[in-house]
Amino acid sequence: MISVEHLSKIYGSTPAIQDVTFSVEPGEIVGFLGPNGAGKTTTMRILTGYLPATSGSAKIAGYDVHENSLAVRQRIGYLPETPPLYPEMTVEAFLYFVTRLKGVPAGDRPSKVDAALKRCNLLEKRRVLIRKLSKGFRQRVGIAQAIVHDPPAIILDEPTVGLDPRQIIDVRNLIKSLAGTHTIILSTHILPEVSMTCNRVTIINQGKVVATNTPDNLEASLAGGSGYELEIEGNSTAAQQQIQRVSGVRVVEPIATTEIPANRAVLRVVSEPGIEPGKEIIATLVSMGIGVCEMRRTRASLEDVFLRLTTQEKLEDGANAQSAHFVNATATEEKQKEEVTP
Amino acid sequence: MRLIWANIVAIYRKELQSYFASPLAYAIAGIFWLLSGFFFTIILLGPQGYISLAAQADLQAQQIGLPAPPIDVAYEFLRAFLGIMGSLALFVLPILSMGLYAEERKRGTLELLATSPVTNWAVAVGKLLGVLTFFIAMILPLLAYQAIALSASNPPVPPAVPLLGHLGLILLAASVLSLGMFISSLTDSTLLAAVLTFALVLFLWVIDTVARAFSGPIGEALGHLSLLRHFNNLVQGIFDTGSIVVFASYIFLGIFLTAQSIDALRFQRS
Repeated sequence: MISVEHLSKIYGSTPAIQDVTFSVEPGEIVGFLGPNGAGKTTTMRILTGYLPATSGSAKIAGYDVHENSLAVRQRIGYLPETPPLYPEMTVEAFLYFVTRLKGVPAGDRPSKVDAALKRCNLLEKRRVLIRKLSKGFRQRVGIAQAIVHDPPAIILDEPTVGLDPRQIIDVRNLIKSLAGTHTIILSTHILPEVSMTCNRVTIINQGKVVATNTPDNLEASLAGGSGYELEIEGNSTAAQQQIQRVSGVRVVEPIATTEIPANRAVLRVVSEPGIEPGKEIIATLVSMGIGVCEMRRTRASLEDVFLRLTTQEKLEDGANAQSAHFVNATATEEKQKEEVTP
Repeated sequence: MRLIWANIVAIYRKELQSYFASPLAYAIAGIFWLLSGFFFTIILLGPQGYISLAAQADLQAQQIGLPAPPIDVAYEFLRAFLGIMGSLALFVLPILSMGLYAEERKRGTLELLATSPVTNWAVAVGKLLGVLTFFIAMILPLLAYQAIALSASNPPVPPAVPLLGHLGLILLAASVLSLGMFISSLTDSTLLAAVLTFALVLFLWVIDTVARAFSGPIGEALGHLSLLRHFNNLVQGIFDTGSIVVFASYIFLGIFLTAQSIDALRFQRS
């Protein structure tokens, strides 16, 4: 549905994005994740035809965003960074204006406007001037504006900015409800948002794509797999050695803490990706006569992944190698998906 | 083609709506009506007005015993009044055109227009039609009291004269608004757009004055370019296709430059 190939944009002499390549399948929600200034907005502006790319190409529904700008613009809904609103119009009048602008036939306008108002929880504000709305409501009008004409592709630049926690949940649900029938790209720098709404994540840093995968896979493998945190009672050094021998365990290390009694210790176990050695660890400990006071599964959060990928000094090379690994992972995964679906 | 027309209408309606919801528009219209009413009264009924001048001329003629020189009071009045309305409009028009694009750029709504299936041309034409309609709405009340005054004229005024004059006023306004729209598309500051458009209006005056001062080919060439000269021609009831072509060219130039500048904006923006 959306395919971006080797896209670069150079402002003067500073590159905003370099060689960005990714694609979005129909019905998918893809999160575009990156720190501020990573090139998210630039990429989205190129996708919507608002900016031309310096090199590379972007296609939406098979139409080049530059060559066939009008055809692309007919098929997209776009929420820019600042919602494009006319303060002197009422919510309803504004949405009618947008449907006219997008070429919705006159007969379909009332039903589409109503549907958008309902979806964005704006029904009770439909006759209020946009000038009088709070920031959260304005943001919702911005989203309504992007979906009112039912476009096949929706591009949302930071859709949950300025919303309160309750509204954020509403907007995430709204976005999820649009999946399947619509293809969505949303940018954000809020991590939980991505893991909650998106099928896939593209992490971009300093204008370059550093990883593309599902949120789960990113979490699982990039940060070195999941693991456990154990609080044990007894000989912790011996326990550590024994756990280390269990297959599937990569690292065991004690965590220094003062909040537990003297005869107890806390260990952190990191397992190999895809393997869950929990049962074996418990069996080993029990056979050694060591008491298990607590066992908790720990997961590397997307936050760790993000920090690792976007903190340049430490992991520049590692991240690049891993991102290559990830593209491969995505490809195999998609194959699996295809096999499952029919 | 039908789609483009629908787009123009969509923009046009939105523009009109925003004028009627804007306090600035009402303030401008109010001041314009106050001043135009004031000038109307002074020119027609004031101590130096055309009616008292005509009465004095009559009185003098009676005293001397000669027939009064013929003065077409209605025509002279119309010429003077429309001339002043033209000057007044030149002050009002930059304020009307200043926000056309600058406001859209400032609010980020240009991003909505630029990513909708609408051409820059359609947006520019729709906006110009919208603001021009607002200006025409502003001069409609003036037509009413001119009609009342002119209906008292004997012999009656041929309707073509005031019609041509007002056509001139509208064409002058459309030209200035069109160029003002282009200036507005260059900046995201409405104030800067207004100041620059004022400068443009002053420049129009300078061209007119220079054209009058020079009699050679330069003066003649400038005279052809002068919007004010063509406006005065129409006000005097002279219908010249050349004048219409000049106005139309200015209007087209403004729309063309606006469309180009918005296009360029999308290609350069950093």
